[in-house]
Amino acid sequence: MSSIAELRNITKNFDGIRALDDVNLKIQEGEILALLGPNGSGKTTLLKILAFIEKPSKGEVYFAGRKATDKNLLQMRMESTMVFQKTMLFNTTVYNNVAYGLKMRKAPKNKVDEEVSKALGLVKLDGFENRHTKKLSGGEQQRVALARALALNTKLLLLDEPTANLDPKTVSIIEEVMATANRKLKTTVVMATHNMFQAKNLPHRIALVKDGKISEVGTSTEIFRNLSKTLASFAALENTFNGTAKATENGITSVDIGNDVLIETTAQQSGTVSVFVSPEDIILSKKRFDSSARNIFKGKIVEILDLGSLVRLKVDVGKPFTVQITKRSFNQMELNLETEVFLTFKASSVQII
Amino acid sequence: MGIWEGLIKALQLIFSGDPRIIEITLRSLFVSGSATIIATLWGIPIALILGLKNFRGKFLVKTLSNSLIGIPTVALGFFLFLIFSREKGPLGFLGLLYTPTAIIIGEAILVLPIVVSFATTAIEAVDPEIANLARTLGASESQASFAILREAIDGILLAGIASFNRAIGELGVAVFVGGFIAGVTELLTTGIKLEIDSNNIDVAIALAIILFTVVFGINLALNLIQRRRK
Amino acid sequence: MNTWIKVLIIVAAVSIMIVGGSYAYFKYLTKTRLLISTTTSLWETGLLNATEQAFEAKYPIDLGFLPVGTGQAIQQAQGGNVDALLVHSPTNETQFLQGGDGACRKIIAYNFFTIVGPRSDPAAINGSSVTSALKKIVDYGRSHTERIWASRGDGSGTHTKEKILWAMAGYNYTQISVESWYASAGSSMSATLNMANEFGAYTISDTGTYLKLSKDGTISLLAFITETKDLLNVYSVIAVNQTRHPNVNFTNAITFIRFLISDECQQLIDDYGKNESGQSLFHSAVQLLKQNSTSQIVQWIKDYAFINGTECPPEYRDTRYPDLYN
Repeated sequence: MSSIAELRNITKNFDGIRALDDVNLKIQEGEILALLGPNGSGKTTLLKILAFIEKPSKGEVYFAGRKATDKNLLQMRMESTMVFQKTMLFNTTVYNNVAYGLKMRKAPKNKVDEEVSKALGLVKLDGFENRHTKKLSGGEQQRVALARALALNTKLLLLDEPTANLDPKTVSIIEEVMATANRKLKTTVVMATHNMFQAKNLPHRIALVKDGKISEVGTSTEIFRNLSKTLASFAALENTFNGTAKATENGITSVDIGNDVLIETTAQQSGTVSVFVSPEDIILSKKRFDSSARNIFKGKIVEILDLGSLVRLKVDVGKPFTVQITKRSFNQMELNLETEVFLTFKASSVQII
Repeated sequence: MGIWEGLIKALQLIFSGDPRIIEITLRSLFVSGSATIIATLWGIPIALILGLKNFRGKFLVKTLSNSLIGIPTVALGFFLFLIFSREKGPLGFLGLLYTPTAIIIGEAILVLPIVVSFATTAIEAVDPEIANLARTLGASESQASFAILREAIDGILLAGIASFNRAIGELGVAVFVGGFIAGVTELLTTGIKLEIDSNNIDVAIALAIILFTVVFGINLALNLIQRRRK
Repeated sequence: MNTWIKVLIIVAAVSIMIVGGSYAYFKYLTKTRLLISTTTSLWETGLLNATEQAFEAKYPIDLGFLPVGTGQAIQQAQGGNVDALLVHSPTNETQFLQGGDGACRKIIAYNFFTIVGPRSDPAAINGSSVTSALKKIVDYGRSHTERIWASRGDGSGTHTKEKILWAMAGYNYTQISVESWYASAGSSMSATLNMANEFGAYTISDTGTYLKLSKDGTISLLAFITETKDLLNVYSVIAVNQTRHPNVNFTNAITFIRFLISDECQQLIDDYGKNESGQSLFHSAVQLLKQNSTSQIVQWIKDYAFINGTECPPEYRDTRYPDLYN
């Protein structure tokens, strides 16, 4: 496969902070590449450079074999498009948003109508043309942003945390769209994520990004096989822990992740492993309750992050777990920092990576 | 005539479409409207620069613009009078003194700081990433700036309305550079003064009612727009 | 081309279109304009409005009056911002002419100031001469607590007249104007009359404004003394000197002056306000002076309003228009 874009010795400084440090990366045509790394590792900056809306302080960017210069910047921009992490829509109708890029390319009206309709169909928002973006849900808004990018049928599609903070239905739609766009339209997709589960299934290759450097690049199988040590350093990846696994009775493996926290999982492995529990699989309660779940931990809320309709909490049960609940539940349970809570999750939700 | 009598006669004048009242009202609308348009034309590019770019002295420029909002109209009016004075003023040769044109220019200068301040605030309130968004969708630099402008349109509309409000209700500039020559430069505001001096209380009250109605309508529009934004 | 430059060009172009358009419309598509500065008291009577209508019916000239105080009116004329001056203050007019800014002065009308006051006439000035009336008012004022005299206090022609009268009665104006019984309105004639009405005080007013407000029922003051030499009020028109102020509309100013002294206009002046007030607010002066009769009023006018024995000394006349002074 030929490379459609290449970053050579890219360094980017912002006001004395080095966001990217001598990054070299080849993006292969037609692949889905995931940039996996914690927040602040430089993923967004990298994507913006590939989108040609950020200029590197040092180094060169190549697209389809041509070097990006000040002169051809506008044309280069036409070849790739980026969907931002924070949903950004123009304060107008869905149609005007999705049509924007097409209008910039001076497409005739009937072509614009056609492409808009197609793009909306891809993200399962058929007929939404005349709705005003203000009246859409969070998930619908992000799908519009995605449709807007897809309508341009660029060679390169860049996505920054495309499914972060979205409801599961929307997440699955978006993941499906990315796969379809890649498969049918042969769009090269580069996505930044810190969700390991997503990184595992969707992309062809994964690049691990930390502190502005790319530490490893490989297929997902390659990366996840020797992942343990590297993953351990990705402490910011939620609910990932290193530990020692030991088989116990009835097909349950117990993993000791330290500080007297033992996680039970149905996955079969022993020795040094890394385990991961999705925040969505953890139930938070104020009182201990009986259930079939094998993992019950008591802890205190040490961090609260308000995401609008969702609230993300960090609970210290000996090790920090990230949990996500609705704002409504948060208010109803009257939670606060230092509130004592219980975390409950099934052994089958625990994955060994 | 007493106030009550004057009020009744004023209403009669308004509803019968008295030509003098209509002439004065139209002139006021035209003069203040033109001034607002001109100030907006000049103010938006300035606001774009202030809102989007960083440069040395930007803080001073913004402070200057904000403080000029409250400039007393008589001060500005007198200053412009000196400039437009037929013989001694540097621009006297233009023969603009005591013409509606001079009032347009004067009021445009008066409300320019309002436009700049309101519009700059509106533009600054727009997420700067919108420009990046526009760029990644294929916009050129100027198109990207325009995208930001479009997101700020509500604030800019407010700027225009607030400016018109100030322009049509001001007296100092109109008096000094326009005089209040009946039939020529008489506006709603100067007209009130003139008609009271002429002891035409009914006409004065009529003009006051119209002026109040116009300003009230403006503020109504302002509030409706603000509601729409929420 | 840099977008910013394009924007600048468009903005400048539209502004010029609007400004230039209104200017062009104003200057070229409308009729010639003649600007006359005058006093508020004269304007208030409405005579100028009537004159304007009659004038514009005859001539394709747009007449505009700038009614400000006498002092302001003269200043505007001195600055060449207006084309002619219409005031009623011979002393100031003399200074104006001597300053070289004026030309072709014509006396066009006269009336009388009147000393008005509350119906009860607390100072009992009815029937006195001007000087003794003023003395009575001062005595009353100094021996009572209320305010008994209202003044325009604004440097207008009326105010100037008032000061002259105080001087004639032997009082130091600066001194009495700050005494407790003396109230200064600092404003127009109507405002001053209203104030006098409120306080039950005396004041000096031009007949025109007084009659208008009196007829209206706005005030209930009575006119006690009028039609004496001391209270003569003479209105003159002066064109702004073209030699010194080349941009003024001199030719049309002369046309206006000619109109003012024409029989038609003089008749209009005589008739003005007769219907509403039952008497003339103004009296025409041109015919009187032409005939040079020996009547008392002519003598009074000559004494009060002539400069060096004539209404316009020859050095201030324009030799191109000798017909103005026959």
